[in-house]
Amino acid sequence: MLSKKPKARVIFGYLCIPMLLYIFAVFVPLVAALFYSFFEWKGGPNKTFIGIENYITLLKDATFWQSFGHNIYLVILCVIGQVGVAFVFVMIIGTRFVKLKGIHRTFGFFPSTISAVAVGFIWTMIYDNRRGILNWFLRAIGQEDKTQVWLNNPDLVMTLVAIPLIWQFIGYYMVILLSATAAIDKEVLESAELDGASAFQTAIHIVMPMIKSTIVVCIVLCVSGNMKAFDNIYVMTAGGPGTSSMVMAMYGYSVSFQQQNMGYGSAISVGIFVLGLLVVGLTQLLQKAATREKE
Amino acid sequence: MKNRSKVLSILLATAMAGSMLAGCGGSSSDNGSDTSAESSESGDNSTGALKDDSALAEGNDNELAYTGELSLMHYSTSEESQGNGGSDGFRSCIKSWLNGHPDITINESVLSNDDYKTQIATQAAADDLPDVFLVQGMNTKAWAEQGLILDLTDTIKESPYYDSYNQAFFTPFTVDGKTYGFPVLTTGTCSVVVYDKQAWADAGYDEFPDNWEDIKKADEYFKDNGYSETIAFGNGGQWQINSCFLSVIGDRFTGGDWFQSLVDKSGAAFTDQEFVDALAFTQDIFQSGIFNEDFNAIGNEDAREYYISGDAPAYICGNWDVSYIQATLAEEDTELYENTGFAVLPQPEGATGSTGTQDIGLGYAVAINAKLADDPDKLAAAIDFAEYVTGPAFATYVGENYALQGLTQVDVDLSNFDQFTQDFYNYSYVDTESCEIYDSYINSAVWDVLNTQTQSMLNGDTTPEDVAAATQEAYESNY
Repeated sequence: MLSKKPKARVIFGYLCIPMLLYIFAVFVPLVAALFYSFFEWKGGPNKTFIGIENYITLLKDATFWQSFGHNIYLVILCVIGQVGVAFVFVMIIGTRFVKLKGIHRTFGFFPSTISAVAVGFIWTMIYDNRRGILNWFLRAIGQEDKTQVWLNNPDLVMTLVAIPLIWQFIGYYMVILLSATAAIDKEVLESAELDGASAFQTAIHIVMPMIKSTIVVCIVLCVSGNMKAFDNIYVMTAGGPGTSSMVMAMYGYSVSFQQQNMGYGSAISVGIFVLGLLVVGLTQLLQKAATREKE
Repeated sequence: MKNRSKVLSILLATAMAGSMLAGCGGSSSDNGSDTSAESSESGDNSTGALKDDSALAEGNDNELAYTGELSLMHYSTSEESQGNGGSDGFRSCIKSWLNGHPDITINESVLSNDDYKTQIATQAAADDLPDVFLVQGMNTKAWAEQGLILDLTDTIKESPYYDSYNQAFFTPFTVDGKTYGFPVLTTGTCSVVVYDKQAWADAGYDEFPDNWEDIKKADEYFKDNGYSETIAFGNGGQWQINSCFLSVIGDRFTGGDWFQSLVDKSGAAFTDQEFVDALAFTQDIFQSGIFNEDFNAIGNEDAREYYISGDAPAYICGNWDVSYIQATLAEEDTELYENTGFAVLPQPEGATGSTGTQDIGLGYAVAINAKLADDPDKLAAAIDFAEYVTGPAFATYVGENYALQGLTQVDVDLSNFDQFTQDFYNYSYVDTESCEIYDSYINSAVWDVLNTQTQSMLNGDTTPEDVAAATQEAYESNY
């Protein structure tokens, strides 16, 4: 069982493979995008250097900022819907009234293994005006006047495309949080119970502080994941009606590939990267501030 | 224990590296295997369906000095060629040309149309286009200016088939008097009203109405008689309203000269009153309730099911939907199949630009990589290939087997076809006036803005004036 420390070059050799792949797949494209963003480039070999003009356009681009707003809305909904609900589920599964915990865990996790495109199609069918289960249900309970063409409602559409995302990833965060709660010493929970703590008090005052760091990881994952939301929205609405469900990644894609404006598309990508970093950084700052206050 | 974990870690690392590499190389290896699998498959198709391919022999073995490889990228997949005459004809032509030139191999990349558009745009951006590929009308100007595609003006004039070409089809691929491609595949309308003749006769119309007031009247009848809507339409992808509706309605209001002036940048603007009127009409008619209420949320593939299932007595679409409807109805509902008729969009009130038009043309052309200019033998082979797949061999094949037309004009004997095919042939090529397909021209940056804005406008969230102004702005800054 005694393992001697591996040689430095063995460690380096092993690390090389993922590092090279990472540099090749993430770092190089990012630097390339930064480079291209200073050009007017409509595809092809000819590019014109235009300095920061693309960024000036970007700052004034109403659609981009609208998309950013949609991303933030999505992040807020998903942090509450994914991490929040997952935490509630974890607490429910943790109680001794729930049987067959393994099955709950497996089926809860199941949706996150489906491709986002398939999830988009499934939910498009649910929202479908004529054959969708949602309108069918409303008719069945006599609320016919509430039926509508769901995905064509600009006020609701962002919420409607967020629901599949929430549904899909609750299980994912549930599994992460479950493994964190499993590490909590049973005696702590038992003594809390003996002291007369309610389930709610146990969750807030005992479990949450003890898995704080895991929750932080979940929130950061959730925020960064939703800043780059794309696939299911692309399938469900393609950003429509109009630009009512446009998110940043889709706007970048549409400018780069549908409008073939690669230079400006690159500027959008850099914009997404910077804004994404800012938002994730801000989340961590807020969390640090919040935890410090408690201590 | 130690050995086990070491083995495990090596396994995991290999698996990870392997999967990532597979991810990178996926597309190219897929294409390779697709191609080989497909070419044998397409051979089976043509014999299995007993299609007449005797016409393909014409001009497939012109003598060429070039030997070696020619790379080709297109979107006529084997799935697409089932029932799509243009794709089948194109694939059969490739095969026949290769038979005539055993010393040349074609390295094919075949993608579905959506993927093709993204892939070819990416390769154009990277200056890494294949030797021969298909270019879309609206990309021609940009790619010609970038020097990516070869000027084929003189080549086309020297083509042995020049006299039988329909010259009008070259315009989307012509920039400043220079032509950059051989228009390819089959000519198909982008806008047709498919309607149930029996249902409309029951409503009191022996023919499909030629004005929208009658349609609104008929709408009352249809709603009272169990139909969900009078006309089905799907604009979920945002391009449908442009290709299948606005190109024609715009033409009815503005006339063809206005659009030509827009293309030539000689004065016309999207904010011109006639075009704003066309937008306003479009908004009004879509808010009048004659269409299915979810037209903005579903695609054309969903909307055509409303017609097929009998929920709607009419459907506005393009030729790609007609071939699907034909194949489906022939199998599932022969009564509706026999009752299906075709009509142009009715004339909007106050529109004086043109009447009875429908937008038809060839959306893609065979283009040749400008780099081939350095290799005359290879260029000659590419030109021979381009002339062959757009020439009389292709036209005769699709004419005899599918009653379709392409770039080269040949006589089609309609007597071998059923009424549905004959009617659609007459609608497409004989009985109607043609107008331009908007998005075969200008560029996607402009149409993307118009399509997105129009979708909001149809919901009543923005005004025709604002749509016109935003589109004009995109036009001025991108074209």
